[in-house]
Amino acid sequence: MPDVILEAVHLDYSYPDGTKALRDINLKIKRGEKLTILGSNGAGKSTLFMQFNGLYRPNSGTIKYRGQDISYKNKALIELRKKVGIVFQDPDSQLFSSSVYQDISFGPLNLGLSEQEVEVRVEQALIDTETTDLEDKPTHLLSYGQKKRVSIAGVLAMEPEVIIFDEPTAGLDPRHAREFMQLLKNLSDEGKTIIISTHDVDLAYSWSDRLIIMSSGEIIAQGKPGELFLQPDLIKRADLALPSLLEMYCGLVEKGWLPPSTPLPKTRAELLLSLPQ
Amino acid sequence: MINIDSYAYSNHLKKIHPGEKSFFAMSTMAVCLTSPTVITPLIVLAIMAGVTIFKAGIPARFFLKLMLVPLSFLLLSVLTIAFSISTNSFGFWLAQTINGFTIGIRYPDLIIASELFLRSLGAVSCLYFLALTTPMTEIITVLHKLKVPIIITELMVLIYRFIFVFMETALTIRRAQLSRSGYVSMKSSFRSMSLLFSALLGKVFVKSQELYNAMAARCYTGEIKMLTKKYPVNPRNYLLITALALVLIVINLLGRR
Repeated sequence: MPDVILEAVHLDYSYPDGTKALRDINLKIKRGEKLTILGSNGAGKSTLFMQFNGLYRPNSGTIKYRGQDISYKNKALIELRKKVGIVFQDPDSQLFSSSVYQDISFGPLNLGLSEQEVEVRVEQALIDTETTDLEDKPTHLLSYGQKKRVSIAGVLAMEPEVIIFDEPTAGLDPRHAREFMQLLKNLSDEGKTIIISTHDVDLAYSWSDRLIIMSSGEIIAQGKPGELFLQPDLIKRADLALPSLLEMYCGLVEKGWLPPSTPLPKTRAELLLSLPQ
Repeated sequence: MINIDSYAYSNHLKKIHPGEKSFFAMSTMAVCLTSPTVITPLIVLAIMAGVTIFKAGIPARFFLKLMLVPLSFLLLSVLTIAFSISTNSFGFWLAQTINGFTIGIRYPDLIIASELFLRSLGAVSCLYFLALTTPMTEIITVLHKLKVPIIITELMVLIYRFIFVFMETALTIRRAQLSRSGYVSMKSSFRSMSLLFSALLGKVFVKSQELYNAMAARCYTGEIKMLTKKYPVNPRNYLLITALALVLIVINLLGRR
């Protein structure tokens, strides 16, 4: 059932210094969706994310969770944040404890779970993010990528319905970036709604169901990745680039190696398969 | 300091319950500080050095270096106790008289000074044992269990974490300054240093706001709740530690004058 889980309606937000950060954002996020928000630095992606779990309050417009306007009362906010988790971009500002184990247990304990239940969840989060061997290490002796994985574990352990990842693969090496994508796939299969922001057009193209392109605080386009990436002026306006897979596909079509009727490939394997033998 | 911290996470005693290690360090330190003889501090020193070097596997060189840190400070304060100046040369054990003034050491003072010296050194060795074998996060957990007010333990958690975050930030800024010829002269050093501090101050505010947001996003309600990994409690260790403390107390009592 493709019902809407989160929705932004005519959202406007300015920073206290008057900088307009978000302008008239209208966005519906469906349950179980894999959504990517693309946009250059300062486009307003992180600011939008902080609206989704009530960390920032819009100047006008509303955020709806399951069709209801979210309330900014303390209790209601806590309920909302149980359902909508955010993994922040900079792990150093998310990890507050020097102990990996303590940090991951923070979120689930705030949910009011029993200690046994929290232990189980922490263990599972450690396994899911491959950080089991880091649990005895202090946070300050971890590498950037390791900290990033621990901060992901801290949110996974809360088992939210919607997980928002702000630039999740920035700073991860190729192997862990790949494993992170596998983790995303598993989470999707469990029925979680996943929103990520990224500059990585290849990832955005091959992973997402739907793309949002933001530029200076506005949504300038939304739709299927294949459709959006084939609009050169849009890509240029948003300071983006063509995914290498699509670039190759377009080149092959142009040279006549592929018939123009070939469906857009989602993966490298699909592109190779569509080549005439 | 960074080395002490690294050893705390990698020594051979890290799997021992932090409560046992804290009890060992604190009970031994208490006995050592209240000791009227020089024998107890010497025994404590030997035990702590032995346990730290052989049991915990901290390199002897490193431990000795650490023990040297308070030495200069300690020697200075002890010497002022040991030496006295007087116009009367009576009662001095080792002295030199110049122009009617006698500078020297009185025997009882020497005893007091050496006792104080050894007692302090013994107590320091207990603290080093704790610092080298028990990570700060676990010491904080022990304090929490001992009902130290939450505001203190929570502040300790945050301060400890952010010492490293800010040190890393400061190092990065300093490196960036060095690579652009900061600190080349006295004048530029002062300028670079002041820029570093103002940059760091700005970051402190930004980071603390970000941290608060991130904690709020994980349903923070004003109290930091967290679980600590459980370590097996070994009653035998408690017995051993208590027995040791009792033996030392007996020595203390026998040495009473």
